[in-house]
Amino acid sequence: MKSLIIKDLHVSVEDKEILKGVDLTINENEVHALMGPNGNGKSTLLAAIMGHPKYTVTQGSITYDGRDVLAMPVDERSKAGIFLAMQYPQEIPGVTNSDFLRAAMNVRRETPVSLFTFIRQMEKTIKDLQMKEDLAHRFLNEGFSGGEKKRNEIVQMEMLKPSFSMLDEIDSGLDVDAMHIVADAVNNLRRETGMSLIIVSHYDRFFELIVPQFTHVLVDGRIVMEGDADLAIRVDREGYDWIYRELNIQPAAKEEASRKVTSLGVCAVNQKARSQAK
Amino acid sequence: MSIRIYADTDILLQEGYSEYEIDTDRDLEVTFRGAGVCDAFIRVVRCGKLRIRTFAEAGAVISYLFWNSTEEVLNVDESHEVLGDAAVTVAYGECNSAPTERKTYVALRQQGASAKVASASLVNAKKTYNIKVANLAPHTYGDMENYAVVLKGGKLMIDAVGKIVNGAYKSESHQTSRALCFDEGQSSQILPELLIDENDVQASHAMSIGRMDEDQLYYMMSRGLNVQQCTSLISTGYLMPITETLQNEDLRSALRNEMERKISELCSM
Repeated sequence: MKSLIIKDLHVSVEDKEILKGVDLTINENEVHALMGPNGNGKSTLLAAIMGHPKYTVTQGSITYDGRDVLAMPVDERSKAGIFLAMQYPQEIPGVTNSDFLRAAMNVRRETPVSLFTFIRQMEKTIKDLQMKEDLAHRFLNEGFSGGEKKRNEIVQMEMLKPSFSMLDEIDSGLDVDAMHIVADAVNNLRRETGMSLIIVSHYDRFFELIVPQFTHVLVDGRIVMEGDADLAIRVDREGYDWIYRELNIQPAAKEEASRKVTSLGVCAVNQKARSQAK
Repeated sequence: MSIRIYADTDILLQEGYSEYEIDTDRDLEVTFRGAGVCDAFIRVVRCGKLRIRTFAEAGAVISYLFWNSTEEVLNVDESHEVLGDAAVTVAYGECNSAPTERKTYVALRQQGASAKVASASLVNAKKTYNIKVANLAPHTYGDMENYAVVLKGGKLMIDAVGKIVNGAYKSESHQTSRALCFDEGQSSQILPELLIDENDVQASHAMSIGRMDEDQLYYMMSRGLNVQQCTSLISTGYLMPITETLQNEDLRSALRNEMERKISELCSM
């Protein structure tokens, strides 16, 4: 069984520690929801697993299928079956979607995919995600709307068939219909391949479409609470304040935000009164 | 079948497509003349100092593709004369690993003459281009397009001058230069110039020097491509549009094939 195992992970960006000891295990076929207020390390965790050069792992380990992920360059991680559907997909002018995907498919195969097979699969995927038919010939994400970029991430996922995928706020920027299209594509792929998932989302609507078995809440670089799908739904309805109160903790970003607000004088009084009333 | 050139030659271009190969260790002076619709593919394999002169007779439509495959420094001095209503395209494929020093002068001599100078360069040596297109008569049209991908160790210098003389009214001079850089330790300099002595003209220049940034590379690598494969894909995407400047399908596919071969070769280093 292919498992992703994260132990005591510490990650820094430009000498600022963002993750302060994360432990997480994700087995085949599992869906994990990763929640938490903005700026508390969700995207950092996913980027560290994928290997973004800006994120430095200072302590801890990540293994996938028994292999040391941290020792692999980004492209090797991808070939090992790890996929990150990004929050902000890059635009690559001059490189068409089809050239890019064919190259990406070929690097994980012994023999190159035949043009016929590729075109058939591309056409099916474009239809599944209800993208425009000229997608294959357009430059990678160039001039795409926010929603198109997000759906194109799922196009890539469906074509590359990873065994472990991370969706970083893939539902933001999607309308309700598009959210259903994306969720269907993800669920179909899960049924087909047994792919495991980490999903970062702020909305329980997405978690109703792709139901997680596990929910983790990341606050100030640590997983502070774990539960099942109900936890994701409760967080969506009630926010995080009850967690801070229950555990007597403070989120990372909120400290900075409140500092900014107090400097505004008049509004600060109002703000302070409100926060005391809570 | 390509015709080998190894001594000073005066060539009268035949209608249609023809291929030439310059292969000599001596200095060389080659003259091309053409009157009809002619497409010439000239491969430079080896040469001392090279002097190229071309003449496009009135009404001629001529395209030249100079493919540089020398292994040592190439020094070229070119002048292209374009007579009334003739249209000339001069394209360069510079994807070899040896330095090039090129001087190109295009003279739009008579009314209605037009010329396009286009270059595609995959740079990992020193490449210096000095290109000047001069509108010397009314109703003439000049255009330059230079696309370059600069790899490690590359040094690119483009000096592109569009000149419209007094009296060459209703003329146009345009130029576009784009360079994309990949690595540290390379340099690119593009100097676009427009020298205009006439009021009733149109002129433009566009220039960009970009850098492949960390996030774009990370994005592509996160789908399984290594740095070389990313470089190769992007170079292909960046340089291939230059083939569109060639009308003749033989010439276009010659350039496309040569470029694909060189890009995959250079980027896998």
